[in-house]
Amino acid sequence: MLITCPYCGPRDVIEFTYQGDGNRERPEPASQNFEAWNAYVYDRLNPAGDHNEIWQHSGGCRAHLRVMRNTLTHEISSVAFVRGDHASPARGRAEDKP
Amino acid sequence: MSPRRTDTGGRIDRLKTIRFTFDGVAYTGHGGDTLASALLANGVTLFGRSFKYHRPRGLLSAGVEEPNALVTVLKGEVREPNIPATMIEIHDGLVAVSQNRFPSLAWDVNAVNQLGGKILSAGFYYKTFMGPVIGPLKGTRFWMFCEHFIRRAAGLGSAGSAKDPARYERMNAFCDVLVVGSGPAGLMAAKTAADQGARVVLADLEPRLGGSANWSGETIDGAPAADWVRRTVAQLEARDNVRLLPRTTVWGYYDSNTLAALERVSDHKAQPAKGEPRHRYWAIRAGSVVLATGAFERPLVFPGNDRPGVMLAHAAQRYANEFGVLPGQRVVLFTNNDSAYRSALALKQAGAAIVAIVDVRPQPSAEMSALAGEAGAELLSGHAVVATEGGKALSGLKVQRFDMVAGGLSGDARSIHTDCLLISGGWSPTIHLASQAGAKAEWNAGRQAFLPPKPTQKWIGAGAFTGSFSTLEAIAEGSASGLAAAGGTGTPAALPAFEAVPGDPDPAPVFEIRAKGKSFVDFQHDVTAEDVRLAHREGFVSVEHLKRYTTLGMATDQGKSSNIPGLAIMAEALGKPIPDVGTTRFRPPFAPVSIGSLAAERFGDLKPERLTPMHDWHLANGATMYSAGLWYRPMIYGLSGETVEQAYVREAKATRESAGIVDVSTLGKIAVQGPDAAAFLDRVYTNMFSTLAVGKARYGLMLREDGFAFDDGTTWRLGEQDFLMTTTTANAGKVMQHLEYFLDVIWPDLKVHVTSVTDEWAGAAIGGPKARQILAACVTGTHVDNATLPFMGIVHGEISGVPVMICRLSFSGEMAFEVYCGAGHGTHVWEALVEAGKPFGLVTYGLEALGTMRIEKGHVTGAEIDGRTTARDLHLDWMLSKKKPFIGSAMMDREGLVAAERLELVGLIALDNRPLNGGAHIVEEVDEANPHGSIGHITACCYSPALGRHIALALVKGGKARHGTRAHVSDPLRNRFGPVEIVSNHFYDPEGTRMHG
Amino acid sequence: MAERQSPLEPEFHVGSHGNFEHGVEILLTETRPGSIVQLAAWPGEEKKLMEAIRGVTGLALPDGAGGGLSDGVKSVFGFAPGKFTVTDEAEGLAAALAKAVTPAIGTVTDLSHGRTAIRIAGPKAEWVLSKFFAIDFALPAFPVGAGRSTAHHDVFAQIQRTGADQFDIHVFRSFARSFWKALCHASEEVGYEVQ
Repeated sequence: MLITCPYCGPRDVIEFTYQGDGNRERPEPASQNFEAWNAYVYDRLNPAGDHNEIWQHSGGCRAHLRVMRNTLTHEISSVAFVRGDHASPARGRAEDKP
Repeated sequence: MSPRRTDTGGRIDRLKTIRFTFDGVAYTGHGGDTLASALLANGVTLFGRSFKYHRPRGLLSAGVEEPNALVTVLKGEVREPNIPATMIEIHDGLVAVSQNRFPSLAWDVNAVNQLGGKILSAGFYYKTFMGPVIGPLKGTRFWMFCEHFIRRAAGLGSAGSAKDPARYERMNAFCDVLVVGSGPAGLMAAKTAADQGARVVLADLEPRLGGSANWSGETIDGAPAADWVRRTVAQLEARDNVRLLPRTTVWGYYDSNTLAALERVSDHKAQPAKGEPRHRYWAIRAGSVVLATGAFERPLVFPGNDRPGVMLAHAAQRYANEFGVLPGQRVVLFTNNDSAYRSALALKQAGAAIVAIVDVRPQPSAEMSALAGEAGAELLSGHAVVATEGGKALSGLKVQRFDMVAGGLSGDARSIHTDCLLISGGWSPTIHLASQAGAKAEWNAGRQAFLPPKPTQKWIGAGAFTGSFSTLEAIAEGSASGLAAAGGTGTPAALPAFEAVPGDPDPAPVFEIRAKGKSFVDFQHDVTAEDVRLAHREGFVSVEHLKRYTTLGMATDQGKSSNIPGLAIMAEALGKPIPDVGTTRFRPPFAPVSIGSLAAERFGDLKPERLTPMHDWHLANGATMYSAGLWYRPMIYGLSGETVEQAYVREAKATRESAGIVDVSTLGKIAVQGPDAAAFLDRVYTNMFSTLAVGKARYGLMLREDGFAFDDGTTWRLGEQDFLMTTTTANAGKVMQHLEYFLDVIWPDLKVHVTSVTDEWAGAAIGGPKARQILAACVTGTHVDNATLPFMGIVHGEISGVPVMICRLSFSGEMAFEVYCGAGHGTHVWEALVEAGKPFGLVTYGLEALGTMRIEKGHVTGAEIDGRTTARDLHLDWMLSKKKPFIGSAMMDREGLVAAERLELVGLIALDNRPLNGGAHIVEEVDEANPHGSIGHITACCYSPALGRHIALALVKGGKARHGTRAHVSDPLRNRFGPVEIVSNHFYDPEGTRMHG
Repeated sequence: MAERQSPLEPEFHVGSHGNFEHGVEILLTETRPGSIVQLAAWPGEEKKLMEAIRGVTGLALPDGAGGGLSDGVKSVFGFAPGKFTVTDEAEGLAAALAKAVTPAIGTVTDLSHGRTAIRIAGPKAEWVLSKFFAIDFALPAFPVGAGRSTAHHDVFAQIQRTGADQFDIHVFRSFARSFWKALCHASEEVGYEVQ
């Protein structure tokens, strides 16, 4: 499987670390809402189909990526930096865009 | 009569003689020969004994699908079993032996198994190894005893146990177009794509590119097809944008058009060149793939179809045309299709007599009749072979009139004297890679074959792979697919001229001739047609179950020649059409892959290892190294004659009495920089860091989001916005990822950068009553007295002209300092410290003494922070700030995490004065016969020189409440039982007076 | 000051090795730059950081991910969003950059000891590197001056192409000897020279 890192280009999955379900919402740090914390730490959608995932390009630029991956076909429909402020075009990949 | 080398012809190098041995007998062959062709040329017909029945077997094929002629190749002490003789290129000194025979191939005692056919039928293992459920042998080990001998009698070659000295490699490749298969279709595809400027890789599992063009005897562009191949290959070789990979089996098709291939780089050489690998594992990322993998000819299933001398028709043609070997002198062809007629004719042209052509079809076409006439063969249409005769070689066969619609035989059997029977049951496209790529094959009733499905990845098929069996179609499809794969839109170069030859690509739908005797479907696993029907009678209706029960298609050839006939027989038994019975999905690998190539450079001393800057000094000064993860660290610096325990006891004692120094360069170190660094650390650690003064360090604890303890270490504030975090050696990478995740995903608004600086700094911890004096003797540019360098203080100075950073902190419990300098100066500073310490009795100590002193102090490490313990369990609740939220604070007070019955950290003292063991259970009452009632376990243990006792740290239910009580270790695995006293984990100097000085 | 010790020392054997009888196709060396510095800009401050780098080193970074260049003495390349590695034959670059890169622009991290720079050059450089890294080393995909972050199993590597057939590989110091041994091993089949 290849993941197209917005900075590094298409790379083999061995360079990436799965960092969990991208749908988790972390409560405010001071929140006492235990249900919300429990959902954040333990509840997962586990869909058969498109899944919003976070991958770190740990063997490359180390940025965290939001990857839409189909759990049935492994097809990746979109990849973006989790940090929106990394997306400025000046630092987009100039060459060998797939 | 026997097989022989023809006087002329073939693409072998007759001027080159190669010497090799098979089963200890010396033979010669020529350059370009396979072991199969060379032995055949020497008149050898018997290549092996079959899997279950030990029946004599010869060559069925000439290629990778060979199920019978499996041999073991010996190279020095190394033996590699189960290699098809058809895939071994001979070289001088090649040593091959046959398999599954005792004492010899010709006289095999287990051949008696042939008489016990009924017992060894399908499901034999399942039925037999259940063992008797009643009777005197019930529940005894008798069956296990028998199994040993039965398993020894059945099987393939045995693997060796000698270490394989060969070199294996991995190679990554990128290309626009990968072409798999170099027959006319593949060659045209590669050429067309290359003409478009695409980066092309062309792989073929054979040593000689060209596929069927090497033996078809056809004419392309006015020249023999093989010459056209040579010309085209030479053109491709000259191009910069083409890589040719002969001897390379593409065996896996994975996601995102990533393909795996095995290149046999030097198996065909007597000696590899210097540095040359034996195998190279290619990971190929291809923009698009052209699958031109051809097709496999299928055998027909009839009694005695496994006798040596029975051979696939095209294989015989290949032996004759490519290798100049006649597989027999009096040849009979048995076919259900047109393609095999040309094979018969080729043998005739090579010098054999074609005695008869037996065709199951009632009326072959006029063209075929003409070909039979040209071959001088008697055409027996509407006939079938019903038996074969002979022992280790074929001597004759019987034919009978056959009605292919009803499947019935009639009339008298007629005997024909022959030494070679060519069989052809039609062709199955080699769709394995397409199937691996993710789509389901589609049955084509005309071709009686599964054709490749619609692509779910970026591949295009060409030639016989698509069911287009003629060379004319292969050339056209190859060119078109090469153009499309390269994304070309122009017109490709004109196609080479080729004159079409007549022939119907569709075979008659006949797979089996049912008559008396064993008819083999899967030759390698000895599965007969009757086994398939037996499986059906016993209720196995799914093709997946059929495979598992009969082991059909599960041998090393993965059913290349048996899948379709097996499926057809099953379909007939079920009374269903073949597509309704289904096919199995092909999985990687297409052909066996050497384990060595998968391990590649991770093997032996090429495994990555991490070394500290002082590594060579440690080795030169008597350290015994210990691998901790990828790191290598000194375990002890043993004196001659010392045991490990004596060494660490001496080192720890000397440290507590005078001073000791240990390499701590492996500690994870992370630079945490930026205006929000302090705020970030407050969120990451359970305790406060924003209040830490510049030039001071603090011990910190991290939790995971779920509230469990994660890691601990000291963090130093080097500047207002500049922190140096240290982590445990083992968790350095995990902590780094943890920090990066929170900065990138959760708190992107924080202006903080984290960088791994583990390798930037060499670290030495020097501790003991004399440690400060030693530092004072060698540090310049700063004082190291209590006022300048208080506990957890940091100073900058120089040692022997090198800038150093010194922090006063202690893991050993002694007055201790960590001295950091640039890694490139690590040895220099270390040596200066050791030198300065000599007058003070400084010792170097290793991990064992380090561990001993930390156990005496009751400090926790990864053995206690094991992912299941909380801060409270480890008595670190004093570090949980109530003034701020931090990672894990919301979840750490959950019911289960504050329960009274949790395991808590305690100390243990062995009351019987014997060593304790890590992992041993703690119980209230010992029951050696029936160990039970664990209340916890030991996490770390040592002999404590400070206490003079065997001590341990343990996680025990109730924890502190049990201090001062007795319990027992219960360690049945190591047979260690005995009383212990439960005490505080702070064994030594609990007030810390030594550390604070 | 004491000379910096190379982590490769016991495994650094100057001369020709492997299958070199037909000529060496690989040159291996340790470039031992005096300074290796990592720079990271806060989001939106990248241009200012690039400007600061130009001011100190004279090297004008091109736009685009992984862009870089070298003047033979100093080199710079991007290896991650907003992050750059700068090297200089001379020591002391980190201090110079720390003056130019204010806390408002980003951070400066000195890695002069922590990273080891290994140079591989020669007609087979792409071939040998392809044994380790799953990235495309072909010139159109990896132009001269550009940088790449990748990994070989546990060994992180930043690679800058400093010539048509020359690459500078920055690895963690602790892994350097192990990686060097593997690189020598992989170069044996084509013949290599250590300089």
